[in-house]
Amino acid sequence: MNAQFGNYRESDWFGPLLITIGAIIIVGWMKPSFLSSFNIQILLLAISVNALIAFSQMMIIAIGQMNLSVGAIGGMAAIAFAGMMEVWHIHWTLAAFLALCIGLVAGITNGILVAWTGISAFVITLATLSVYKGINLGITEAQPFYNIPDTVKSLGNDTFFGPLPWMILPTIVVAFGLWYLLRRLPLGRFILAVGGNSHAAELSGISVTRTVIAAHAISGLLAALAGVMLVGRLQLGQPSIGDDWLILSFAAPVIGGAVLTGGKVSVASTLLGVVIVVIINQVLVLFNIDPYLVQVVLGALILWAVGMNRWREVRTGKNEQRVSA
Amino acid sequence: MSEFVFEAKGLCKSFPGVMALQDVNMKLSAGSIHALLGENGAGKSTLIKIVTGIHKHDAGDVFVDGAQLELHGPRDAISKGIGVVHQERNLIPRFSISENMFLEQLSSHPLRSIDFEILHLKARYWLDMLELDSDPKTPVQKLSVAKMQLVEIAKALSLNSHILFLDEPTASLTPHETKNLFSILRRLRDDGVCMIFVSHKLEEVQEICDQVTVLRDGKNACESRSMLGLDRQDIVRLMIGRSEQIPIWEARDRTNTKPVLELNKASTSIGHRDVNLTVHKGEIVGLYGLVGAGRTELAKSILGKYLVVSGEVLVNGKVATINSVADAVGKYKIGYVSEDRKSEGLVLMHSILENVGMTVWQRLSKGVAFLTNRAIRSQTVPFINKLEVKSPSLEQHVGNLSGGNQQKVSVAKWLAAGVNILIIDEPSVGIDIKTKAYLHELIRELSDEGTAILLITSDMPEMITLADRIVVMNDYLVMGELPNTRDYTEMSEGIMQLIHDAEETAESFVQVTS
Repeated sequence: MNAQFGNYRESDWFGPLLITIGAIIIVGWMKPSFLSSFNIQILLLAISVNALIAFSQMMIIAIGQMNLSVGAIGGMAAIAFAGMMEVWHIHWTLAAFLALCIGLVAGITNGILVAWTGISAFVITLATLSVYKGINLGITEAQPFYNIPDTVKSLGNDTFFGPLPWMILPTIVVAFGLWYLLRRLPLGRFILAVGGNSHAAELSGISVTRTVIAAHAISGLLAALAGVMLVGRLQLGQPSIGDDWLILSFAAPVIGGAVLTGGKVSVASTLLGVVIVVIINQVLVLFNIDPYLVQVVLGALILWAVGMNRWREVRTGKNEQRVSA
Repeated sequence: MSEFVFEAKGLCKSFPGVMALQDVNMKLSAGSIHALLGENGAGKSTLIKIVTGIHKHDAGDVFVDGAQLELHGPRDAISKGIGVVHQERNLIPRFSISENMFLEQLSSHPLRSIDFEILHLKARYWLDMLELDSDPKTPVQKLSVAKMQLVEIAKALSLNSHILFLDEPTASLTPHETKNLFSILRRLRDDGVCMIFVSHKLEEVQEICDQVTVLRDGKNACESRSMLGLDRQDIVRLMIGRSEQIPIWEARDRTNTKPVLELNKASTSIGHRDVNLTVHKGEIVGLYGLVGAGRTELAKSILGKYLVVSGEVLVNGKVATINSVADAVGKYKIGYVSEDRKSEGLVLMHSILENVGMTVWQRLSKGVAFLTNRAIRSQTVPFINKLEVKSPSLEQHVGNLSGGNQQKVSVAKWLAAGVNILIIDEPSVGIDIKTKAYLHELIRELSDEGTAILLITSDMPEMITLADRIVVMNDYLVMGELPNTRDYTEMSEGIMQLIHDAEETAESFVQVTS
């Protein structure tokens, strides 16, 4: 039993889970309105979109790279979604499908450029970030699309049961899907293998090129999904969607114990990371703290999380030292 | 059907500026262990990379079971039963043993679920065959190096490899683990597997191999001839074109000179307890132990990388507080030649000059604001020349040099820094016989000039050639100390005795079944 508990304590989700529960209890006690049905709905809405953003980055962290263009892809998909509905008057489902395809293509483009040129993903996605954002601004001229169908608006804000919003459904499906992918499907294992040791993966006959492209494709798709959902939530096609995603996209996976060199990510802990970030945002609002402080707190949180990971590494380092000696 | 399971005929391969292989032949028969020997740069690695589909050859043919083999990538080699266990470990650290073994065939399609139970069962079969008792669910990062290697062998066998290339499989194994590996290899041989054994350790080659192919400068120095009637000197002659000269140095006793480095009941944050150790001026003290005994870690603790939590470190008789490697080098003149040249010792993409100069920048920039190339040259070139680093120019990237020359550069770096104490960790890993002998002379010469040297090596003959005293470590403790009489049998027995005593009492020792 004790050993079992020790195992839990060593796992990545244990720390974030304790923090989440602790935060909910403390904040709920200080501000009972925090646990009101309405506030829970607000929290879940924020978690739904932010989780997708975090998952989008998480898939790239899994292969040991980074994707700076997550926000730009999301923004491009969002204005494409809103624009197609307003300008072409097509049904929202078709528009959403096409917007997701745009995200997929943008992700695949990232993946192909990274895998074929061998240039670091940092540089490639920095460049594509600029390209995608440029396309976004070129189309919208920085003006939002206002004409959003009512169905989309209500799906973006209404609940289907108690405080549970419709928006949480795609996120739940994605979370389970990714968990299954990374645990049970060879493709997911290939992604983690390439992140863990790409040389070894290649020598085992895994196509590193295809795996990298697949990870970027998934990342692009998830970023686009987040963008599309945010259009429903905000009830307009805002060109600035995605501009502030970058820090969050790294913060949540890192809080969840992801290793930035690749090979180790966790869907559950990343989700908890998102919950923590969302709660912090809420707390600052509830206690009337300057919203600009959010950035500061988020930055501090990343440093703390990285520090914790590092500390754990050093603490268990002796054993690993012995293995690698 | 051919009588040979594998045949390479007239293989040629050139890289820009180098003819790596020229008309190389090799014939392998089933149920044999075949040595592939040659100095560094002789073309062994290139040959392995060609037959395993990593490099494409320019000319020549490869036959497996008499049928010509078209090689376009690793998959072609794997599908024809050619397996390879590379020198460096090629495993995904966080993945389980079974997943690592079946990595590219986890299930029938990338989007079809993996049945881990079946994977574990399949893995179990091969692990049993190699008498590896680890649970297939164990992440490989928790295994010892020797076990990781067995996992790689199991992986190759599970792909129905009947031709298995083993590139320096014993490089990081202890004598005990090596013995265990050999008994497994012999069993595989009796089961009809054909193995190609690459090693720099000729004792091992003589012990286990039936046939030998020697490469010299990319050509066959001998082609699949029987080991019968070949003695060590014959093999060496084939490899380097002349016989080996083993220096027989007088045993010497330097304990009467001034102690330069002393550890007094030192314990470290990573688990060393009450370590006592003294190195005198001009003395070579050997630190022997099995892999994982904590030798490299002790060296790094002396250098200030890990914390010394109790006890004292004395340099030149005075208590030294070494908080960082910069302290160790700058204040106390201690240098460290890493066992891992490529990742810790050298900046591969920088030039020779920049690498050797790294340690003198700080000193040279004192007072003046910037470094002149001339100042750096005057401080470094004498040492580079002294060690006879062979390179067309000092601007050459270190990554392009041979292993031996890289090692010379990493030693030159510390000579330029003017260190009084030099810790040398596994100096001859991946270095050929000729360069090794040269390095040994160099280390001896350094000590004669007064440098105190702490030598860490797992190569027993090297230890006995070089060390004046041998300190034996096991599981982060010093087990004892022996003056080196330079009598191989006597010394190796003494050393193994010290380790053995410790092992009997320590139950926690990772047991590899023998």
